[in-house]
Amino acid sequence: MSANAAIHVNRLVKTYKGADHPAVDSITFDVPKGAIYGLLGPNGAGKTTTISILCGLLVPTQGDVSVLGLSLKSQLEEIKKRIGVVPQDIALYPTLTAFENLQYIGNMYGLKGKSLKENINKQLEHFGLIENAHKFVGNFSGGMKRRINLIAGILHQPEILFLDEPTVGVDVQSRNVITEYLHEINRAGCTIVYTSHLMEEAENLCSEIAIIDTGTIIASGQPKALIAENNSANLEQLFLKLTGKKLRD
Amino acid sequence: MLILLRDRGGLAILFLMPMAMITIMALIQDAPFRDYQELKIPLLLVNNDTSTLGRTIENGLKTSKIFEITQQKQSEAAAKKLVKGGDYEIGIIIPANATELLNAKVNQFVSKKLSAAGLSDSVPATTATVTGDLNLVIFFAPDTKKSFKASVLSTLHQFTSKLETQTLLDYFSKELSKNDNAAPAQTQTKIDDLVGFKEINTVETPQETLQLNSVQHNVPAWTIFGMFFIVISMAGSIIKERDDGSYTRIRTMPGSYVTVMAGKISAYLFICLIQCVLMLLVGIYILPLLGLPTLVIGNNMIAIAIVAISCGLAATGYGILVGTLFSTHQQSSTFGAVSIVILAALGGIWVPVYVMPESMRMLSEISPLYWALSAFHKLFIGGGTVAAILPYVLKLLLFFIFTLSGAFLFNKTKKQ
Repeated sequence: MSANAAIHVNRLVKTYKGADHPAVDSITFDVPKGAIYGLLGPNGAGKTTTISILCGLLVPTQGDVSVLGLSLKSQLEEIKKRIGVVPQDIALYPTLTAFENLQYIGNMYGLKGKSLKENINKQLEHFGLIENAHKFVGNFSGGMKRRINLIAGILHQPEILFLDEPTVGVDVQSRNVITEYLHEINRAGCTIVYTSHLMEEAENLCSEIAIIDTGTIIASGQPKALIAENNSANLEQLFLKLTGKKLRD
Repeated sequence: MLILLRDRGGLAILFLMPMAMITIMALIQDAPFRDYQELKIPLLLVNNDTSTLGRTIENGLKTSKIFEITQQKQSEAAAKKLVKGGDYEIGIIIPANATELLNAKVNQFVSKKLSAAGLSDSVPATTATVTGDLNLVIFFAPDTKKSFKASVLSTLHQFTSKLETQTLLDYFSKELSKNDNAAPAQTQTKIDDLVGFKEINTVETPQETLQLNSVQHNVPAWTIFGMFFIVISMAGSIIKERDDGSYTRIRTMPGSYVTVMAGKISAYLFICLIQCVLMLLVGIYILPLLGLPTLVIGNNMIAIAIVAISCGLAATGYGILVGTLFSTHQQSSTFGAVSIVILAALGGIWVPVYVMPESMRMLSEISPLYWALSAFHKLFIGGGTVAAILPYVLKLLLFFIFTLSGAFLFNKTKKQ
C-alpha cells in the first residue's frame, strides 16, 4: 500500500448470493490522494459493485479495504463522515424544495445554522440554481436534478468524492458545468473516484483509470500512457481493444 | 397480464389476504350472528354449598352449555377482583348454607299455604333454625352491556325457578299424600321467589359506572385503527425512498440505521398523536352535538399519553417493517391495509372481543390493536391507573422493538 494512497483495495472479492461467479474477483488497486480516478468498464463489469463496497453500501465477501487510512470493516462510520457520494439515481425528495433537500442532507452531516445556509446558497449560485432554490425538485429538469444531486454529495466538503455516472442523461451545458466543478474541487484537494460509460469525458477528466471487465482489472494507469502503450487513438479505442466488441448484458 | 403474472408477491397478497380476511371475519362475526344460547360465557362458580341446591345449580349451569365454567374456592372479594379484572365475564357465589335455607323457606311457604287452606294439622311446624335471605351472589364485568346482563340473569332465573317449583311440588306432594282431603287449587297460589339474586357491583369509582356504549367503544377503537393506518403511508415512503435512490444516499451518510429511522419514527409518531387527540376531541365535542353520548376519558392524562405514544410507536414500527419487507408500493399498501383490517377485527375494533368465540378471543391476544384498545378501555371505562395499563403498554413497546429489529435484520441481510 502506497503511503500516498487515499484508498487501498487488496484482493477484494464480492460474490452475490446465488451467483455462479464473483461480481468482483480479487482486485487490488490504490487510488492516490488528489487523483481523479476513473473506474471504467462495460455493463456488468463490476464497477458499481466496487464503488458500492468502497462507500459501505455492500459488505465484501473477501479482501481488505482502507479509506483515508481507516479500515472499512471497523471504521465505516468515521469514513462516512469524510467521503461524499453522488449516486447514479437522482436521490432527492421531489416534494421538498432544492434548499430543503440540501438542508436535510447537510444536517445529516452535522452541518447547521447560518454557515450551512450560506454554503447551500453559494453552491446553488455556482450551479445556476439560486433562483430555483425554493421550488420543488420534482418540477426540475433532468439537468437541474443532476446538479442538485452533485451539490448534495459535496456540501460537507468531503476528502473523497465517489461519483457513479454523474453526467448520464444531461445536456452538454450541464455536463460542462459539472466536469468544470469536479476539476475545481480536485484542485482544492478532493480525491475523486468516478465511473462512466462516456470515454471522452473520462479521458479529459481522469488523472488515472482502471478498466474492469468480468470482475477483474485488465488495465490501469494514466489514460495517455495507456493509450500510447496500446497504440490506440483515444480512450474509447483502447477500451474496445481491451474489452472487445461483444455485447454485454 | 404478463407483468401481473410475474409479480408473484403481489399475486400472493391478492389471493391469500382476502382468504385470510374471509376466514377471520367469518369466525369473528359468527358469535354476534348466533343466539346468545350458543355462546360460551366465561363464568367463575364458587359453590360453597355441598348439598342439593349447590349441586343442582352447578349441574344446571353445566348442562345449559351457555357457560364455560371454572370452579374455584374463592372469597367474595377475590371473586369480584377476578371478574373485574376481566378473567371472567360473570362470577356466581352459592352460599354455604343454601340448601338448608331453601328447605327452611319451602317448609315455611308450604306451612303457610296449607294452613291457609285449613290443612295446618297435616304439616309439621317448621323446626328450621336457619333464617335470612337465600341470595346467589352475582358479579358482572364492568364493561358488560345491560342487555347482556339481562339475558344472563333471565337464564339464571329460569334455572332457579325450575328448581324452586320442583322442590315445592315435591314438598306439596309429600305433604298432600298424607291428607287426601287437600285442595289441589291451593297450589295455584303465586309462588314467591325462594332463591334470590344479589347482584354485586364490580364498579368502585364514578367512572366505572360508565357502560360500554357506542361512543366509549368506537372512539378509542377507530382512533387506534386510524393510527395504525399510518402504516400504509409510512411503508410507501420507505419504498419510494428506496426506489428513487434517497435511501442509498442515506446509507452512505454518517449515523446508524436506528438514528435515521428515529427521525422517521418521530415524524410519524407526531402525526399519530395529533390524529389521536383530534379523534378524542371529536368524541368529546362533536358526537354529543349529533345526539350521541359524550366520550368520557377520565382525568389520567399521563396514562392516556402513555397509551397513545405506545400505540403510535407500535404503528410506526409496523410501518417500517412492512416498508422494508415489501419491494413495491402496491404490495405494501395491499398487505398493510388488509393486515390492519385483520388485526383490527381480531383486536375487537369492530366486534367487542367478549362476544367472540373462545378461539377468536385467544387469537385477539396477538393483536396490537387489542392491547391498545384494552388499555384505553381500562382508562375510559375502568377508571384505571398507569399500573392497570402497564401490561398492555409493555406489549405495545415490545411489538415496536420486535418490528424494528425485524426490519434492521432484513436490511442487514440484504447488504450481504
